[in-house]
Amino acid sequence: MQDISLHLLDIIENSVRAEARNIKVRVINNVQKNRLRIIVEDDGVGMDSHTLEKAQDPFYTSKLQREKKVGLGIPLFKQNAEMVGGTFKMASEPGFGTVLTVDFTLDHIDRMPLGNLKDTLLNVIIGHSDVDYCVHLIYRDKAKEQCFYLDTKAIREELGDIPLTYPDVIEYIDQSLFEGIQNTNMEDV
Amino acid sequence: MKTLADLKKIREKAQEDMKLRGGNVRIKISVGMGTSGIAMGAREVMKTFLEEIAARNLSDVLVTQTGEKGLSSMEPVVDLIEEGKPKVTYGNMNPDKVKKVVVEHIVNGRIVSDYVVATGD
Repeated sequence: MQDISLHLLDIIENSVRAEARNIKVRVINNVQKNRLRIIVEDDGVGMDSHTLEKAQDPFYTSKLQREKKVGLGIPLFKQNAEMVGGTFKMASEPGFGTVLTVDFTLDHIDRMPLGNLKDTLLNVIIGHSDVDYCVHLIYRDKAKEQCFYLDTKAIREELGDIPLTYPDVIEYIDQSLFEGIQNTNMEDV
Repeated sequence: MKTLADLKKIREKAQEDMKLRGGNVRIKISVGMGTSGIAMGAREVMKTFLEEIAARNLSDVLVTQTGEKGLSSMEPVVDLIEEGKPKVTYGNMNPDKVKKVVVEHIVNGRIVSDYVVATGD
């Protein structure tokens, strides 16, 4: 994976596979604290402490149906954060869901870029249109705080029986995300 | 700025549209979005499908994403599922190939056999 947004896509896929119906994604660019924080919270099946530990092991996978013996998604994300002075935390409760918090040191020279956040978010919102998403982007520095918020439940309410996958709605969400990412300075992080 | 009020206009237009053609899904596109698919460019493949479909206003085509399908060496992998027809799986996809599949297969109904890696279930 070349950037954080691709890892984020991979992590959200995990949530969907864990039967999440609601996924909350927060990206916090805190210049003051020199920290880029990603939080993904889902209400999927969750994991017990044994599985939670195993999930960070590259030779473990929850995908039972094939001969696949490795699961690199989580271990690689963890490695990419820890390598540059960041942290990777996963908390989970069977039956309630999972919360993943990843911190990157903002100005670390080897930190991978945030990448194309817009395409990751648009993909998961449209590609799993039966899941609801809360997207919260926050930019913070000494002088100001800028926020962007997108809630697919609110969009659905306005749309009535028109699906999120309708072409004009895709364009609307794409445009909203684009504006939100610009307003929170998340383009070239 | 996009606001929720913009959605009202979209809703009105979409409802008219649905009345005309009944709101059926003619083709379902399923992009493999497992770890290996993502690493090989599945996100750009999916994004190109979304762009092409929005640009052509193909409101009877549904784009979804799924986990890995066990075809890791051929990622990014895309399934095209059309009612009453065998499933067509395209492999080693990229944005240019997606554009061709949209024009040839989805709009004109001709399978792009050069990119097919599997058919049926």
